[in-house]
Amino acid sequence: MFHNSSHKKYWLFDSEDTVEQLRCKANMKFRNKVLSSGKPGVSESLFLERHEEDVLFRHYERRLLDFCNAFKPVMPKSVVGTAIMYFRRFYLNNSLMEYHPRIIMLTCAYLSCKVDEFNVSSGQFVGNLLQETPAGQEKVVEQILEYELLLIQQLNFHLVVHNPYRPMEGLLIDLKTRYPPLENPESLRKSADDFLTRAAMTDAGLLFPPSQIALTAILGSASRAGLNMESYLTECMGLKEDKETLSQLYDSMRRIKSLIKKYELPKPEEVNVYKQKLERIQAEFTTSSNNKRKRGYEDDGHVAKEPRMTEEEWTDEDLL
Amino acid sequence: MDDQGCPRCKTTKYRNPSLKLMVNVCGHTLCENCVEMLFVRGSGNCVQCDTPLRKSNFRVQLFEDPTVDKEVEIRKKVLKIYNKRDFDFPSLRDYNDYLEQVEEIVFNLTNNIDVENTKQKMEQYQRENRDVIQRNKAKLTREQEELEELLLLEQQGNEQRRLETLQEEQRQLQAKRKNKQALLDELERSQLPASILLAQHKDRAAQLETQIEKQKQTVKPTTIFSTGILMGQTVSLQPVARIVEELYHYKPLKIETYGPPVPELDQLSRLGYLNHVRASMPQDTAGGYTSGLACHRAIQDAFSGLFPS
Repeated sequence: MFHNSSHKKYWLFDSEDTVEQLRCKANMKFRNKVLSSGKPGVSESLFLERHEEDVLFRHYERRLLDFCNAFKPVMPKSVVGTAIMYFRRFYLNNSLMEYHPRIIMLTCAYLSCKVDEFNVSSGQFVGNLLQETPAGQEKVVEQILEYELLLIQQLNFHLVVHNPYRPMEGLLIDLKTRYPPLENPESLRKSADDFLTRAAMTDAGLLFPPSQIALTAILGSASRAGLNMESYLTECMGLKEDKETLSQLYDSMRRIKSLIKKYELPKPEEVNVYKQKLERIQAEFTTSSNNKRKRGYEDDGHVAKEPRMTEEEWTDEDLL
Repeated sequence: MDDQGCPRCKTTKYRNPSLKLMVNVCGHTLCENCVEMLFVRGSGNCVQCDTPLRKSNFRVQLFEDPTVDKEVEIRKKVLKIYNKRDFDFPSLRDYNDYLEQVEEIVFNLTNNIDVENTKQKMEQYQRENRDVIQRNKAKLTREQEELEELLLLEQQGNEQRRLETLQEEQRQLQAKRKNKQALLDELERSQLPASILLAQHKDRAAQLETQIEKQKQTVKPTTIFSTGILMGQTVSLQPVARIVEELYHYKPLKIETYGPPVPELDQLSRLGYLNHVRASMPQDTAGGYTSGLACHRAIQDAFSGLFPS
């Protein structure tokens, strides 16, 4: 249940600023790490700025979504939601420059399949990388297994993610049962579903409880259909007397909606520029930092499931 | 070493079941026959380590490992000198140090480590503490005597009781025999019919029996409980102080869900929620699933955390 989950306790933040600060800190951490390593030829201009990171993040998140949607067998929505949430949580405390999002996103999807009881074997999983040769797929499996433990560690072992999909079902059931004024609740479903998909691409999941997001989806869908459902909140939710909670709830819903409205797809030309920058950083620093990370990782008593193989040669274009 | 044997004549317990192994102060074994042969003159050297030994110091080996026998012997000797007791020391710590020292000496002597020094140390200690040792020895023997006296008393008591019961039984037996004789005499002399006499006799016999029974019951001269507490001694029979404990009061578990109240699982059907979820198939219910579970979970999730806290 959500109300006593680690999700509520550790992974809900009070404002967008808090989240942004965490990401800036992660960015700074990586810069300082590289600068203090004393490598020659390092200049500030080499690094990705925060907003550049953000563009790349959205780009890879979109790729993750596309990958999940094209997945065979069809992935349940909650698995996709969990994967995206893992991705988001991971890059809250880590910089894109340190761990390449290409492999992290696959690891997130893979872990989410396991956690959400969507049983696919690793072979089946990488079989969805259609552009890969069998040997390349093999390599990806090895990488996923290598990063999996790191991901779990970075998620602080809080693996259960509460997605807004079940709350939405619950609200629909409740509407059908207790709110006869609404004639056909099922008609709200499609647009509410779209809303949730778009909400998954924003920070809403880091800022608001899933039930609020679901409620926002339903109410938004209703208002688009020209229905006013305020009486549902006042009568059925018992908020008639509690004006304060009601106004807070409306405020939260407004913030969720504005978050989603603000979302824009990353521009392809920007993405390409930043991607090159990212590749250069990766090529420059991460071979050393990877080794360092790996050593530190084993010093911590963690051992990757599989020995690390040679650095991969595949690019994003191979995905999908 | 599976089989113990004499190192000199190579006889083993297996070949000679009556073999008796002996140990002397050096901790090396010899069989009884070899001891007789080698130590005819009362003294000689150990076959294995050349220590001068006396025949009278040979003991029957009690433990499988002869060094244990040796250690027991040595310990006995050392403790004769180191016979201080815990109340001879100002603190427990000192006493423990002293015990540790004793163990050290025993170990050294048993394993032939630094024997000369250890012996010197012992002698020095003996010289320094002569009167303490003497006093403790006396004390020990006195305690020993007291103990023996107690044992003797107990034995005497037992013997007396045994004799008493024996006498009692004899007396009873005699009484019965007398009774029988009286019957015979009466049958001989009396003019009354035999049947009446027999009946009288039976009565008397029964009386005698009950008397004996009664006596047996009264004879209970135990003055001591099995716990060793003397009878008649005042034992405090006050009940143990009662500990007043606070009774546990059940308080229903209250969970803050940060949302509107969720209907109970068994109320779902009555409130009409179940009309809006897929009914469970018969094959689903085999594992205990009901549509109410899924419905309840969905509604819980929908309401949990809904209100900003």
